[in-house]
Amino acid sequence: MKTQDPFTLEIIQNSLRAISDEMFSTIGKTAMSPIIYEVLDMATAITDADGELASAGSGIPAFVGALDKSVRAILDKYPDDAIREGDIYITNDPFYGGVTHLNDVVLIKPVFADGERIAWVVNIAHWNDVGGKSPGSMSVDANEIYQEGIRIPAVKLFSNDELITSVMDMLLANSRMPDFLEGDLWAQISALRVGNKRIKALAGKYGTATFRDAIQGYLDFGELMAARTLKALPEGEYTLSEPQDDGSELSVTIQVKAGQLIIDLTQAPDQSDSPINISRDGTLLACQMALMGLIGDREMANGGCFRVMQVKTRPGSLYDVKAPGACGIYFETMIRLNDLIWRALAENMSEHLPAGNFSSICATIMGGTHPDTGKHYSIIEPEIGGWGGGPGGDGANAMFCAMHGDTFNCPAEVAETRYGVTVGQMALNPEDGGAGEFRGGKGIVIDYKIRSDNSFVTCAYTRSVVPPWGLKEGHNGTANRIEVIRDDGSSERYAMATGINVNTGDTVRVITANGAGYGKPENRSQAAIEQDLKNGYVTVEYARSVYGFNQSGSR
Amino acid sequence: MKNNVFVTTDVGGTFTDLVYLSEDPATGRQQLKTAKTDTTPPNFEQGVLKVMEKAGVSGEEIQVMAHGTTVVINALTERKGATTALITTQGFRDVLEIGRGNRPDFFNLNYQKPEPYIPRYLRFEVDERIDCHGQVERPLDSTHLPQILDTMRNEGVKAIAICLLSSYRNPEHEISLASAIETLSEPGEFELICSHQVSREWREYERTSTTALSAYVQPVAARYLSELDTGLKQKNFDGRLYIMQSNCGVDTLASAKQVPITMVESGPASGIWGAAELGKIIDEPNIIALDIGGTTAKCSLIHNGEVTVTSDYYIERSPRSAGYPIMVPVVDLVEIGNGGGSIAWLDEFNKLHVGPQSAGALPGPVAYGRGGSEPTTTDANLMLGRINPDYFCGGELTADMTAVERSMNRLGQQMGMTPADIARGIVRIANNNMVNALKLVSVNRGHDPRDFTMVAFGGGGAMHACALAAELGIKKVVIPATASVFSAWGMMMSDIRRDRLQTFLCSWDLNAIDAISHEMENLYRSLEQEFIDDELPRDKTEFQFYGRFRYVNQEHSIEIQLSYPLSQSHLEPVIARFNEAYEQEYSYRLDNDIELVGLHLVGKADVGKVKLARQAQTGRLLSEAIKGERMVDFAEDGRHQAVIYEGELLEPGMTFPGPAIIEQTGTTIVVHPQQEVQVDEYANIVINLTPGGEQQ
Repeated sequence: MKTQDPFTLEIIQNSLRAISDEMFSTIGKTAMSPIIYEVLDMATAITDADGELASAGSGIPAFVGALDKSVRAILDKYPDDAIREGDIYITNDPFYGGVTHLNDVVLIKPVFADGERIAWVVNIAHWNDVGGKSPGSMSVDANEIYQEGIRIPAVKLFSNDELITSVMDMLLANSRMPDFLEGDLWAQISALRVGNKRIKALAGKYGTATFRDAIQGYLDFGELMAARTLKALPEGEYTLSEPQDDGSELSVTIQVKAGQLIIDLTQAPDQSDSPINISRDGTLLACQMALMGLIGDREMANGGCFRVMQVKTRPGSLYDVKAPGACGIYFETMIRLNDLIWRALAENMSEHLPAGNFSSICATIMGGTHPDTGKHYSIIEPEIGGWGGGPGGDGANAMFCAMHGDTFNCPAEVAETRYGVTVGQMALNPEDGGAGEFRGGKGIVIDYKIRSDNSFVTCAYTRSVVPPWGLKEGHNGTANRIEVIRDDGSSERYAMATGINVNTGDTVRVITANGAGYGKPENRSQAAIEQDLKNGYVTVEYARSVYGFNQSGSR
Repeated sequence: MKNNVFVTTDVGGTFTDLVYLSEDPATGRQQLKTAKTDTTPPNFEQGVLKVMEKAGVSGEEIQVMAHGTTVVINALTERKGATTALITTQGFRDVLEIGRGNRPDFFNLNYQKPEPYIPRYLRFEVDERIDCHGQVERPLDSTHLPQILDTMRNEGVKAIAICLLSSYRNPEHEISLASAIETLSEPGEFELICSHQVSREWREYERTSTTALSAYVQPVAARYLSELDTGLKQKNFDGRLYIMQSNCGVDTLASAKQVPITMVESGPASGIWGAAELGKIIDEPNIIALDIGGTTAKCSLIHNGEVTVTSDYYIERSPRSAGYPIMVPVVDLVEIGNGGGSIAWLDEFNKLHVGPQSAGALPGPVAYGRGGSEPTTTDANLMLGRINPDYFCGGELTADMTAVERSMNRLGQQMGMTPADIARGIVRIANNNMVNALKLVSVNRGHDPRDFTMVAFGGGGAMHACALAAELGIKKVVIPATASVFSAWGMMMSDIRRDRLQTFLCSWDLNAIDAISHEMENLYRSLEQEFIDDELPRDKTEFQFYGRFRYVNQEHSIEIQLSYPLSQSHLEPVIARFNEAYEQEYSYRLDNDIELVGLHLVGKADVGKVKLARQAQTGRLLSEAIKGERMVDFAEDGRHQAVIYEGELLEPGMTFPGPAIIEQTGTTIVVHPQQEVQVDEYANIVINLTPGGEQQ
């Protein structure tokens, strides 16, 4: 029974998802760097023969639509007959399909059956160090990409299943941590091999024609689903300008017309001298992430969904950086862009999106001497914060931002042992804010008490001045920041800072925003306010002044 | 001389099962009986007494009874536990609500976190602090305890969970706090449980969640176990009663009452243990166990005869939800929402899905005729001629085939297909879901399924096992003689088992060996004493230590057996074994140093298991077991005229080829074309598959 009945196609599609997941777990298990297997800073994908995303395995949304772009870069650079079975390509350069920054290294392998290319398997993982001016390769003061590490411009790493050692040697010679580089590289290669084997078996079982039909059917289905989502939006053109923490202004124009979502970012500022730029591919990724947020279905994310979207950028701008612009710290620009689009959609078109959340990676880096072992420790972590209220209910408390997904925070008991800091509290942010018919979720307050002198803190937080945005007259949320509380009781506030000196007895207090509210606060039900008071989510004074609450229930 | 009688009873979601094994000590002659009745919520113990009656088992003849129950998991999933409060360290009462911050359903921007079992207003803080080395940094201040208890009383709190930071290293503040509460409250006023009684591992969210859930089910479970005890005594039972745990062992009633959360996955655990023990009997050390019930399918991998017990367990976790961690020893398994009662449905794009919604026992599959209208996997199996409509549920029910066809037709019309096409689609999609789950426990963990034998059980296991095995390249499938009551059978093979897991981060070198030895001795002494206190003599007990090791700076750890007492000559061999195990699982090894993350001590005590005897042959002819023939649809393997066998009449030594259907009281075995059946000397059905399947 080898007909193309719908169940066979469905089973092939399910199997593609399972293969992406298997490749994902292969890297997760075999990678050497904690950032890969703990923060899940990696992804895998299968594309069709022409580079359209068929299936993605990812722990974080920010990488779901990344890898088709790398395949396209190979297809652009190499003629069809030069791409052979047994090849593996490698890129990390945002100007050559590397999408994000030089630390994120992509490996790409064509899959052949019966002598023809039927698919590609791809994966991406964050490498600890790819050279450049600073250890770890990301430096906040880089102004050219050359300072951020070795550029790998979509070159061949394997030919005829043989490693091209001269390329490998160059990679190893350019890293401060060559052992980690090699370990992580082999983890990615073994994942490609697993994917290659599984896809061949799948195509072998059902026939390559059926296999191709299944992928195309899957992509068409993604398109259908995206088109249906767009149909629910009113046609029209909407522009949103939003002031930023640093005084600049970002704007986007979104047009819904004839079943297409057109995102115009040509009004963006010129590209920056600092490493906060994004490549055009990275911008596409941020836009696709916003689109998938509208669609809401993780399992169905594929290239077909993206067919309904056009993105306009201006070369030489923040969202379409030209070489040799630096991209190392691209992520806050990306989350700001994603949030901007989300806000424009929520305020003007969609009835399903929640209000603004803390919306920052809140990258926090701390280091110093471990007081118990005498060795150097470094904490590198994204933070969790409050999400916005939405049409369905209150915002979630303490969750990673939209770019992160199935990411886990570090338990206090592990942090204390591993880093030699004392965690004084890990609590919901007690500040008031984010009122609404459905209120914003709570951010967090974490106290890190420093136990050794000459330690440092570096942070990159946005939404520290301009708070999360309320929706449908819901109130804004509160602000992300770090407070350093000195041993003498004085305190300082930071959002973007490098190398703040901290000593024994000082406390680094991470505070993330409470999300914004949705709908008028006066529409919040009496029962919900009473529960909020009972649970201490809001103060009595706030309930009185913002919700007009009194005990009798009359408001 | 009196017969040795060992009885197990297993309360499942739908049925309460019994297995009875009696042995004449003089002749060694054995009698095995099984029985099944409906489960009787909320008074589950009634079903136990009923199934004993049905099997004709009297209380006084039983020496040992092992009992498994879903009462804990039911209380959790149906939110029917007690009003529970939490006391924790100053600054950490929100840990239960913060969780780990993850969002598995990451494109769902309206994601809601799982709601904590203890609301914020019932979570209280005390001023105290123990540091990460276990030293007291701030003494416990219980000044506010009376007010806290008053608030709890006003809110109707019945159970209190205590979880303080770093108590995995040093529980003294938890102990003081618990005794202070006992002093300040009436006896029996609150059920009380401290985190160190449940878990000695780090990660405050997971430990707090475990303690909270444990306290939440404590009153319900304690009441249930007491009522069971009383009910059995009224039946003149005066033997020893053991309760099935999630770690594949049983434990005493008193011990189970103390920490009932350890019963959470006891049903699946006993089935998986049964598969491992069956493997020992039939000389199959490498097994993939597959248990297909009414609502879910569970699978687990047994390697070299060993089940894996971890504390990495969650309830209600799915791609849509982060779920709730329960950090107690639970057999390592993957569970998916695909069972006999799983409902097939079309989404808005006319794509067919199976599960995770289940028709359960009520209304049950359409064929039950109890009001179910949406087709289930069982209905599809009936439609395809795999299940005999005239011998449905062992002949106890008449399958309503008109209703089944109508339900298939409804989906068929929307898709432009015949009812048979839909039924075939349901079976294929259900099989595909299960294949993916089976890959998670095998290939995704570095094991090639072709090196394993599949042991399938539960009501639906035998129906799907042969197709799944073929897909995975598995060469042999075993359907146990007691497949339909296999959890109860597995319990009969269990020992008393207690797992003690202790986080103990430490370098693995000469300098640390004294500290590690000291920690091991503490663990060993306290567990040994527990066994002595429970009147389990030393000659009946055995202990095994494991260390959880990892490369310095990595996160993933691997368990390696440790000798006790430890000496410095053990350092190098452990490193070698770690490197080997690491390479098997992760495909490479490193030169890096390794470190110890934690210790795991397993204590076992024999409760007087009966050794299974071989089945006698009566000389019956195979032809006597043939009921007839019928057309059966084998989905991907096409439609074939299949021979139908009466399972109860098969006996050791018989062999026959597929396509065939073997009908037993509790289950139906579907044997595909080109597969060979052989009945082994214990009356297990062994199906040999033609080599093939997916290349690994």
